[in-house]
Amino acid sequence: MNLIREIWQSIVRRDPLTTDKGKSELVFLNVWLHIHPAKVKKENLKFKHSFYLGFITFFLFVILVTTGIALMCYYRPYPPQAYQDMKDLQFVVFMGPFLRNMHRWAAHGMVVCVFLHMCRVFYTGSYKKPRQFNWVVGVFLLLLTLGLSFTGYLLPWDQLAYWAITVGTNIGSYAPFVGAQVREILLGGHTVGEAALLRFYVLHVAVLPSFVILLTIVHFWRVRKDGGLSRPVWKLAPPKQQPLVTIGAPVETVALNVTAASKDKTYGLMEVVTGKPIFETVTPEEEEDTVFSYPYAFVREAVVLMATVTTIMMMSLFLDAPLEELANPAKTPNPAKAPWYFLGLQELVSHSALLGGVVAPTLMVLALLAIPYLDRNPSRRPVDRKLILWLFTFFVVVNLVLIVIGTFFRGPGWAMVPPWVHVVAGAE
Amino acid sequence: MERRLQQLFFALSLVALVLILAAAWQANTPSWKTYQRRFLMLESQGEPNAAAKSAVLGTPLEVHQVLLPGLQRVDRCTTCHLGVDDPTMKNAPEPFRYHAGLGPHVSARYGCTICHGGQGLATEKDAAHGNVQFSETPLLAQNYIRASCGRCHKEGDVPNVPELAEGRHLFETQGCRGCHKLNGVGGSIGPDLTEEGASHRSPEWLERHFLAPNTVSAGSAMPNFHFTKDQARDLTYYMLSLTSEEMGTYFSSMRSIPGPGYGRQLFVEKNCIACHAIGGVGAKTGPDLAGVTTRHSMGWLDEQLVNPELVYPGSSMPEYDLETNARKALVAFMSVATPEDAKSILSGRPRALSPDEVSVEAGKQDFSRFGCVGCHGTELQGGVANPNAQGGEVPSLLHVSDDYTKDEVIAVIRNGRVPPIENASAAPPPLYMPSWKSVLSDEDIHHIADYLWSKQQLKKESW
Repeated sequence: MNLIREIWQSIVRRDPLTTDKGKSELVFLNVWLHIHPAKVKKENLKFKHSFYLGFITFFLFVILVTTGIALMCYYRPYPPQAYQDMKDLQFVVFMGPFLRNMHRWAAHGMVVCVFLHMCRVFYTGSYKKPRQFNWVVGVFLLLLTLGLSFTGYLLPWDQLAYWAITVGTNIGSYAPFVGAQVREILLGGHTVGEAALLRFYVLHVAVLPSFVILLTIVHFWRVRKDGGLSRPVWKLAPPKQQPLVTIGAPVETVALNVTAASKDKTYGLMEVVTGKPIFETVTPEEEEDTVFSYPYAFVREAVVLMATVTTIMMMSLFLDAPLEELANPAKTPNPAKAPWYFLGLQELVSHSALLGGVVAPTLMVLALLAIPYLDRNPSRRPVDRKLILWLFTFFVVVNLVLIVIGTFFRGPGWAMVPPWVHVVAGAE
Repeated sequence: MERRLQQLFFALSLVALVLILAAAWQANTPSWKTYQRRFLMLESQGEPNAAAKSAVLGTPLEVHQVLLPGLQRVDRCTTCHLGVDDPTMKNAPEPFRYHAGLGPHVSARYGCTICHGGQGLATEKDAAHGNVQFSETPLLAQNYIRASCGRCHKEGDVPNVPELAEGRHLFETQGCRGCHKLNGVGGSIGPDLTEEGASHRSPEWLERHFLAPNTVSAGSAMPNFHFTKDQARDLTYYMLSLTSEEMGTYFSSMRSIPGPGYGRQLFVEKNCIACHAIGGVGAKTGPDLAGVTTRHSMGWLDEQLVNPELVYPGSSMPEYDLETNARKALVAFMSVATPEDAKSILSGRPRALSPDEVSVEAGKQDFSRFGCVGCHGTELQGGVANPNAQGGEVPSLLHVSDDYTKDEVIAVIRNGRVPPIENASAAPPPLYMPSWKSVLSDEDIHHIADYLWSKQQLKKESW
């Protein structure tokens, strides 16, 4: 019995969770949990302040990695075996359809949630100083998510995949000077073929996920260093002007009990330097508004995790991921459509290849990257940011409208066909 | 609040567990297991005692499949159709009934889908039978099933399926290749037909299409050839057999290769005797074929039949669209051919051809092989409807020499021509003369011009 206790205590070295010390040690003695602060601001936990969209996105990524690794066990990245493997997943692999559905819906969900998360961060002005660069990291994560979804789109090697990637990479090739070369490097040839499938597979399962993980670590670290999730600071009572308290430093009014260095104490190498930190510091008033991460933050995160998982599972049980005919380069569907999140672009391309396919997306990405540096307005209060909020809303709505038009209103020959009109495909 | 959240967490975890169990249950109860249990019940009825019965009933349920690795096919049909190879099941209800009349084509070796179509990989009824969205190959209807024989038996007469040979003959003689490509040879006005049997066109569609092209595809440029019902059916059979999947060669490694008899038939059909002699009997344009199989390797001969210019640069021998087995059959015939064969083949002809006649004969062959007859008619009479072209139809070629010089005609064949338009505001005429320079060599074009001129002279003499 003592041995078991000894083993347990060698694994879990914190004090019992009933004590405050135990609660904080749970966080900072644990390599996985210590990205959290030991205590979080109550404001940060409120659902309506963040909708937990960042967490949902992260959890979807975890689902994607898990199901993705399982799918890799059944997949050969060369045609036409790739398609046959999809059919095997559909018909003979135990719970194969469920697995593939989960991966598919989580992938679409991640694209949506990354975008919504970005909107939330914009509307709350959370990209402002000192978080400018974290916004930039976030934009790169958005692009990586789109890249992951796009590369994954090809892997089933069906007509849907083949033509979506053909159209998608064609849009990219409109870029002057480099477009055609980039497309060729990406595809390993001039058309989507065996080489393209292998390259997309490598990007999808190794290269892009690695970058996502690396950038996510940076993203989370910076959130943590910048004082946790951003809060609607304009709603908080203005902090009283008080001298900053450095813990352990003598304050004039309070006589501090200074203990002489003792041989019984352990000293870390933490160095106390002068100068204000760039990140938010906690005032004594705010200190009163904090709670221990355990259980307050963790239980909320756990609920969000399970809500995400059950939603994806529910969808996977009832909605099947599409699988069309085997890819056939000789048979172009009309219209051939890019993945839905690129249909806004395709819609623009249908009006002007250069403007819609190159200028618009390049400007869009550059604008997104530059937002925190162009927006000189220091206030985060919505009433002070009316113009930019309207501009951003306009940008979001235009994007959504274009995607909706491209998805539902475009028929054969990219002609305007409302979704309620039935067109007989392949009428000759 | 915190307590509520904890309860919510446990509730959601429970939901997740239930969902996983539901997914597992769904995965564990596929419809094919029901069929297999029913089959085992059926089989156990014939067993004499309870022990044997329970032994049968205890057979593990599993997916059965036939692998055809060379064809990239996996047929799981026998997962439900469990009695196809078992004669005792000949009166069993579907899907367990015995498949009679297969001869050597047992499902264990050939699978099911190469004849029946359908989706071999599927293990659910609707998906397997191809009655779902995005299925390329729905099951072929029973009354057309014999067309599938032509997918492997590409050449010669398929026993019991005269429609196939007849359809192929019609295709080659009615000028279909003028507009349609098949195995890389032919025009590009109409769709390529190489994969026609592999595409999911319904037989009924094809048959109606041959009877009256405009009724099934409005505005089609395809002329109405006024085929009879039987001819339309023959052509439909032939279309259904067209696929580039190398089934014939895959299975011919197991079967015998067509013999010299079929080779002789091809030798006559392709008019080889017009250029070649056998043992000194025949024409002198090409090399004598006696002993040719001892002078050259099989591979050399095969390549020569595929692409003569590749083996002999500057060879005047035309390219023929011969299937693998057709080439093998021709080589087989050449290895046994005697001067007597040549004599009997020539007996249809009074004498060997002169060089001029050889050119005319080659032109005539090209004219029908590349499908010129499709529009210009087997007797050069023209007359195929071409709305909004001057005259409203494809012109007759019987009086070409009155209006054009030979060089001008050669230029038109080389470069193609859009017919003069009657009414500029209406839709342009659907048919036009394609450019042939990428398909035909200059020599071929000269042969065709010679052939046209030979017809002109005959016309004038008879005037």
